[in-house]
Amino acid sequence: MPIKIALAGNPNSGKTTLFNALTGSNQYVGNWPGVTIEKKEGKLRSDTYRDVTIVDLPGIYSLSPYTLEEVVARDYLTGENPDAIINIVDGSNMERNLYLTTQLAELGIPMVIAVNMMDVVEKNGDKINLDKLSEKLGCPVVGISALKRSGIADAAEKAVELAQNKVPMVPRHRFSENIEQALAGIEELLHGKVDEKQMRWTAIKVFERDIKVMERMAFDDALKSRIEDIVSQCENELDDDSESIITNERYLYIASIIKDCYKRKSNVKMTTSDKIDRVLTNRWLALPIFALVMFCVYFISVTTVGTWVTDWTNDVLFGEIIPPAVEGFLSSIGTADWLQSLILDGIVGGVGAVLGFVPQMLVLFLFLAILEDCGYMARVAFIMDRIFRKFGLSGKSFIPILIGSGCGVPGIMASRTIENERDRRMTITVTTFIPCGAKLPIIALISGALFGGAWWVAPSAYFAGIIAIICSGIILKKTKLFSGDPAPFVMELPPYHRPLAGNVLRSMWERAWSFIRKAGTVILLCTIVIWFASNFGIVDGQFTMVEDLDDGFLAKLGSIIAPIFAPLGWGFWEAAVASLTGLVAKESVVGTLGVLYGFAEVAEDGQEIWGLLAASFTALSAYSFLLFNLLCAPCFAAIGAIRREMNSGKWTIFAVGYQTLFAYVVALSVYQLGSLFAGNGFSAGTVVAILAVAFFLYLLLKPSNERKLKAATVSANI
Amino acid sequence: MPLSMAKEGEVRLIRKVGGKPEVKQFLESLGFVVGGTVTVINEIAGNLIVNIKNSRVAISREMAGKILV
Repeated sequence: MPIKIALAGNPNSGKTTLFNALTGSNQYVGNWPGVTIEKKEGKLRSDTYRDVTIVDLPGIYSLSPYTLEEVVARDYLTGENPDAIINIVDGSNMERNLYLTTQLAELGIPMVIAVNMMDVVEKNGDKINLDKLSEKLGCPVVGISALKRSGIADAAEKAVELAQNKVPMVPRHRFSENIEQALAGIEELLHGKVDEKQMRWTAIKVFERDIKVMERMAFDDALKSRIEDIVSQCENELDDDSESIITNERYLYIASIIKDCYKRKSNVKMTTSDKIDRVLTNRWLALPIFALVMFCVYFISVTTVGTWVTDWTNDVLFGEIIPPAVEGFLSSIGTADWLQSLILDGIVGGVGAVLGFVPQMLVLFLFLAILEDCGYMARVAFIMDRIFRKFGLSGKSFIPILIGSGCGVPGIMASRTIENERDRRMTITVTTFIPCGAKLPIIALISGALFGGAWWVAPSAYFAGIIAIICSGIILKKTKLFSGDPAPFVMELPPYHRPLAGNVLRSMWERAWSFIRKAGTVILLCTIVIWFASNFGIVDGQFTMVEDLDDGFLAKLGSIIAPIFAPLGWGFWEAAVASLTGLVAKESVVGTLGVLYGFAEVAEDGQEIWGLLAASFTALSAYSFLLFNLLCAPCFAAIGAIRREMNSGKWTIFAVGYQTLFAYVVALSVYQLGSLFAGNGFSAGTVVAILAVAFFLYLLLKPSNERKLKAATVSANI
Repeated sequence: MPLSMAKEGEVRLIRKVGGKPEVKQFLESLGFVVGGTVTVINEIAGNLIVNIKNSRVAISREMAGKILV
């Protein structure tokens, strides 16, 4: 018999760690609430049980969802009838965690409680009486450490047994007399309308006037008013609203359990985590520290450690070793010239150009993984909230943005933890402004080729992204589409812990591997297409392989769109085509330049792609090229993610259109005004740029029409 | 007084949790219930990190103003 076991518990209580341990999966684990945003299924690894599926759910604080990903968990638990629940409870934070437990118990689904982090509990010298807890709650309780993998098989076994024997969970807990009477009254009215097993849960939810449940039940008016009579009578007796009555009762019950089952050794007021927070979230130091951290991350990964390795891969591996070797091999087996060119100029040149940047990505991903795993990520959201709020975004928007610095797709998906739809749409629109891992090769290429690896280029790309986000926040917030205050910020902060080597390396490798895989598939395909399109053309009315790439199809096509980019300083077809291929994948920009500037020729004529590239660009036009490619529409994968999360074609077009327009205006202004200051004289472009900047400043500074109105409603809104 | 005015390190009793119903419910599920205790750990521009039922929760100034202690 196939069995489904759901993992339910508070955010950041270790569900995914347990899921990975039970199923042997490699799901991503992070140290902030909201890492898991979708349910994931896996087969239980066991010799005794064959057909057991484990379902990992997003973390929830209660069965009344507050954000989108919490809805997923609640709908699964209340709608899909899993055969058993393993309720994960963080042993170091029992009181809060048991609040959800009291609600899960009412669902009537067989349940096992797994008290996680027992190792931490023991280290703190605290004691949990598991037997007594089991007796009080009326279900098996197992002490586990998902991280150390102790007790997990026991927990799974107990859950499977319960599921096989179909032992329904019967909550031991009774509310006080008046409430029980009211619930009994409601249950009587609901009789025959609700599955008996879910009766108690439904009755309580109806008592709380839960909107979702009431909608689903679709009672007629007569029944509604009879229920309402019962509820309001109870409210009058207890002088509180029904929802608060239940909440308070739950916490009282939990307090009585904790008193009997939990012995805390000492009440340390300031934990180590608090002491770290005193510094990292200090009122004056928080922002400078954050800026310094991000500066170091980009500086080190692009300019120092990353470059040492990348220089070697680019110059030696893909410069002196591979091309001559491949060429020698191809010549020795007598390959046709065109095929040799395809392989050398096309594939080795294009894919090699991308792969050359993998070391830099590895360093970047290593740093990001460390930041995510140690617990700093959630703090950054907190630090940035005050500032972001001034610009119409909530601090919660910062988590998608930080994740987006690895890859935009999960970044956009992480926006689900934002409860307010307006805030979420805005976050999705601005998330990809932050340079993702795939844009790193573009940054590194421009920084290396045009700026001699100057220290400021890479960090400036990151801060340009942040400034773009802030400016967009200000501008968009003033439009009707996004007006209104961001939702109030409330977020649990996990304790800091030393990053775990396993987690960090896995997360680094997984991200890097997806890039390498992409280089072998999408980028490979793209470079082949680029090679054919650039090397073939019609010369003298005949379809032929061209001598000069300028005669190829690609050059002809590129020349049509190139003038669009002329005001940005790079109106030549190579750059235009490269930007266009960025839609396929951002690394493709570098791959395309690699093909078009004959990366593989390096060994022959001694001139590097960097030299050729430098000849085509000026420092200013290169920076404008960089800015445009960083800020414009993201790759198709990310656009797809925007489409899914926006759930609307119109909003997708809006987001992508806004990004591209914004990128164009910024690149134009930087190039034109830069030229002016460099003493290149006044031109029509300069006028346009000045107008653009003036309009931009106007949008930025104009008072919001609704500010006055908002001020009046603001207190009512919170 | 509102939680936003509590001093760092002071243990305070929660007297009332206000705000819109869904926000209130969310705060309650995080442990902000009448009769519970709360301690301000850190403050930055009005935003607070508080100790509530032994976990650390970051909460914005607007929200902290709705919790009376």
